[in-house]
Amino acid sequence: MRLLVPALAATLPLGALLSCKPEAAAAPAGAAATGADAGAAAAVAVVEPAADPIESVVRVNTTRQAWNPSQPWEKLKPRNRRSLGAIVGPGQVLTTAEMVADHTYIELESPDGKKLAPGRLLAVDYEANLALLGLEDPEADAGFFDRLDPLELGDPVGIGSELEIIQVEDSGVPLVTTGTVQQVDILADFLPGEYFLTYEVKASMQSAASSFSLPALHDGRLAGVVTSYDSDDQICNVLATEIVNRFVEEAVGGGYRGVATLGIAVTPTDDQHFRRWLKIPDDAGGIYISSLLKEGSAEKAGVRKGDVLLSVAGHDIDRLGYYEHEIYGRLYWSHLVRGSRTAGDEVALVVLRDGEKHEINAVLERREASDQLVPKYTYGSAPNYLVKGGLVFQELTRPLLRSFGDEWESRAPLDLLDALENPEKYEDRADRIVFLSGVIATPATIGYEPLRNLVVEEVNGRPIRDMADLVDAFATVPDDGLHSIRFAKEDFTVHLDELVSTQVDTQLLQRGLTRLSRVPEEMGGE
Amino acid sequence: MPRIVLFLLASLLPLAAQTAPIGAPSDVYRSVVRIEAAVQVPDYSTPWNSGRFGGGIGSGFLIGENRFLTNAHVVSNARRLLITIHGSSKKYPAKVEFIAHDCDLALLSVEDFSDFEDFPTFEFDGVPELESQVRVIGYPVGGERLSVTRGVVSRIDYSTYSHSRADQHLVVQIDAAINPGNSGGPVLQDNKVIGVAFQGLRSADDTGYIIPIPVVQRFLKDIEDGRYDHYADLSISTFPLYNPAMREALQLPDNDRGVLVTGVVPEGTCDGVLEPGDILFGIDGNPVDSAGQIVIDGARIDLNEIVERKFKGDTVELRYLSDGTWHDREVTLKTLPQNQMYAIQYEKQPRYIVFAGLVFQPLDTNLFATAKFEDINVRRLYQDYLPEGLFTEREDIVILTRIESDPINSALRGFRGLAVDKINGTEVRSLAHAHELLHPAEMPEFFVIECFGAGRPLILPGDEIAEANERVQRTYSIDQLSNLEE
Repeated sequence: MRLLVPALAATLPLGALLSCKPEAAAAPAGAAATGADAGAAAAVAVVEPAADPIESVVRVNTTRQAWNPSQPWEKLKPRNRRSLGAIVGPGQVLTTAEMVADHTYIELESPDGKKLAPGRLLAVDYEANLALLGLEDPEADAGFFDRLDPLELGDPVGIGSELEIIQVEDSGVPLVTTGTVQQVDILADFLPGEYFLTYEVKASMQSAASSFSLPALHDGRLAGVVTSYDSDDQICNVLATEIVNRFVEEAVGGGYRGVATLGIAVTPTDDQHFRRWLKIPDDAGGIYISSLLKEGSAEKAGVRKGDVLLSVAGHDIDRLGYYEHEIYGRLYWSHLVRGSRTAGDEVALVVLRDGEKHEINAVLERREASDQLVPKYTYGSAPNYLVKGGLVFQELTRPLLRSFGDEWESRAPLDLLDALENPEKYEDRADRIVFLSGVIATPATIGYEPLRNLVVEEVNGRPIRDMADLVDAFATVPDDGLHSIRFAKEDFTVHLDELVSTQVDTQLLQRGLTRLSRVPEEMGGE
Repeated sequence: MPRIVLFLLASLLPLAAQTAPIGAPSDVYRSVVRIEAAVQVPDYSTPWNSGRFGGGIGSGFLIGENRFLTNAHVVSNARRLLITIHGSSKKYPAKVEFIAHDCDLALLSVEDFSDFEDFPTFEFDGVPELESQVRVIGYPVGGERLSVTRGVVSRIDYSTYSHSRADQHLVVQIDAAINPGNSGGPVLQDNKVIGVAFQGLRSADDTGYIIPIPVVQRFLKDIEDGRYDHYADLSISTFPLYNPAMREALQLPDNDRGVLVTGVVPEGTCDGVLEPGDILFGIDGNPVDSAGQIVIDGARIDLNEIVERKFKGDTVELRYLSDGTWHDREVTLKTLPQNQMYAIQYEKQPRYIVFAGLVFQPLDTNLFATAKFEDINVRRLYQDYLPEGLFTEREDIVILTRIESDPINSALRGFRGLAVDKINGTEVRSLAHAHELLHPAEMPEFFVIECFGAGRPLILPGDEIAEANERVQRTYSIDQLSNLEE
């Protein structure tokens, strides 16, 4: 796993990543986010709380509701979550992005449970798994933060340091668990492929209170945020100080720029034959650049596929992709991009090409999930779709693929997986993969019931680049009143009668479909 | 998809001790024989090894002078076949004359037929009526001697023949309790054969499937010229045309006629004749309805039934509409060997190359079932091989299936289970071609092997190969480093 951290994660397909993943690598320990009920470990290291921490935390209660993957006009059953946020600025509370993903309601609650106030999302980074919350109506709830003081941001801590993890029982009694930083590594704790500097802290936490999205302190200052807890190994994953600090410093001032990417996928060069073939000198390290994100920072700067990356920002990269960090020791190179810099920063690279060294300066850019052919997450935005005469069209997203079940990587339809794994094959002709996700049996769809998971290429002769295109294409009714829908790969055209499908659509609305389509322009922003 | 069980009685099954006495068999029962098969099944995960030895019991019956009919799966991969008859313990060595894996039938002969000379031979009848009674005769699990059960014909339908997994033909479903060991036995009505017992459903009791006579007779006719040619195929895909808007757009009257052609396999029977978008209206004078069905003998059935009853080289008359023009064309039926990509293979030696510990094998259903490839590129190549005509460029999809540990390949990670695209810059067309590319006249400094979906090329130093091959051969007891013939 350590060899794999892709700075490119933003668009790099899973398959491509796997190819540079060592076979023997273990699954990330405790990577699964643990819910409030998961930490069933015996409490041993609970010490009497200092008076301070409880005055710098608030409870965060959220209601989360995801969209229904098969019926995109409606949401699934709401779920509640409860955690503890750290006050990091005037009226500003830090928690994980996981707490607010797909939220419909945020509530802040004083630790003693006496004060409650609706909250608002000020900034969020789903990749780094951090979110900043404030009050929905600071005037109405002006007294909420009285007698609560912001925590100071700490300095990075090294291996062996002690962290205090703060919990508050339902009774309002604070619990402080002390643990030791055993290891510092780059982990992807929330979104797959999004690796960030994480402290692995040995601590036995109480199951009584929620065991993730908790503040971790060092010397009374904020050292990180607990993103997950593995009760079997008694290891807490704590998002490291510098990741938290950078997010807070930028987000508190407003105008959060987000984590940047270099846009490369790499593979190690520890194979001697491979090194000889690449003409890498024996005393050099270096990692092989196996693919580049189209229009990404590295590609724009002139990096090529097949280059060997020797150094990043003045740090030599070894054969497995590690460099020597002043505090943490051996650390994977991606931290130099993902963890230490933001969008707009310049980073100096040295690459080896045909045995010669080249110095390249790349300007780091942020790659939004929404800019991807198949967005890797869709939090904060409602799915785009169109229902026409009973045909249900959607834009392909990674969460939609995941809805094919735990084994989605082998069970989801090949054509759809292919778009995720090999986006470069599709990017010239589409901005999104618009596909027929299902067919509601109606008078307009007689004989079409078996059709599903087919990528739409053209409607009424018009190429389809995204959902807005599809809606537009159907808005122009051909002279004969018959729409034609052409699917990619399948060599045939399906027709839909405008009159019949309009009648059908009216009935569908009467039967409880809230609306027939959603396209980006109409999206409620957050 | 229901689980289908083949009624081959594996020899490892415990035989029940109790045997109920049966009355004197009618004369015809003498001609139902017990077939004992000793088999050797190749192991696709270690293709250089001998494979697994085992055996099984099935049934068969005499249909002519030294002609015993049975199921292909009873005698597949057989190394020794013995036939015994009811009421005798003598074992007669037999051999396979013809075997058809696509319709699960085989014809055997014994070395010495003299003892069978005065045995009655079975006659064939047609497809039985629904609800009519039938008798299943054979040597199923539960005893050593002949067994007879009765059942009723409950369904006549097209269904999958699980022996090859890829073929669908007519089957007759009966409710008789037929069991492992019944495979290959005759199913009788009025002492005439109306089918061959062959498979059942794991999820349902008392459901047996039999191969009806049209399929049997087709097999017997196919082998008249001394070899079995396989089923021929139109090699097209179709989409039903019963949506009113669809019919209106194609300017078809609302008369329930015609099916849309959506795919034509390159080099198949209809390649160069039909095109996607054509509408097929008739086959050999039979009108095709909007679901792609025709009426034969008063029953509505898939239009492929016309082709099912014909042979390679026969012609079929197609009536179709293409770009508004009517065509009547005769096509000559072809068998497409590439179809075998999707059928389980028997009687074949797995092909492979071992090179510096890297094991290369051609993709087929046997390999897929053994290795369970997850790589999307491999799955895509497998799926598109026939319909997209990939076989025209790559006769074999060559897979790097294993890497046997050796110092030369110890740093190779993540390549296992990927499909090979190029070797030293040349696209790999087949396993034999890969073998050529890996054994050039002049040893290159490096072998550069590019796989679909790999992050980097796989590099092997030319000057260390010979030593590594020798080491791997010794360490892993691999007698032959390659087998390029099936």
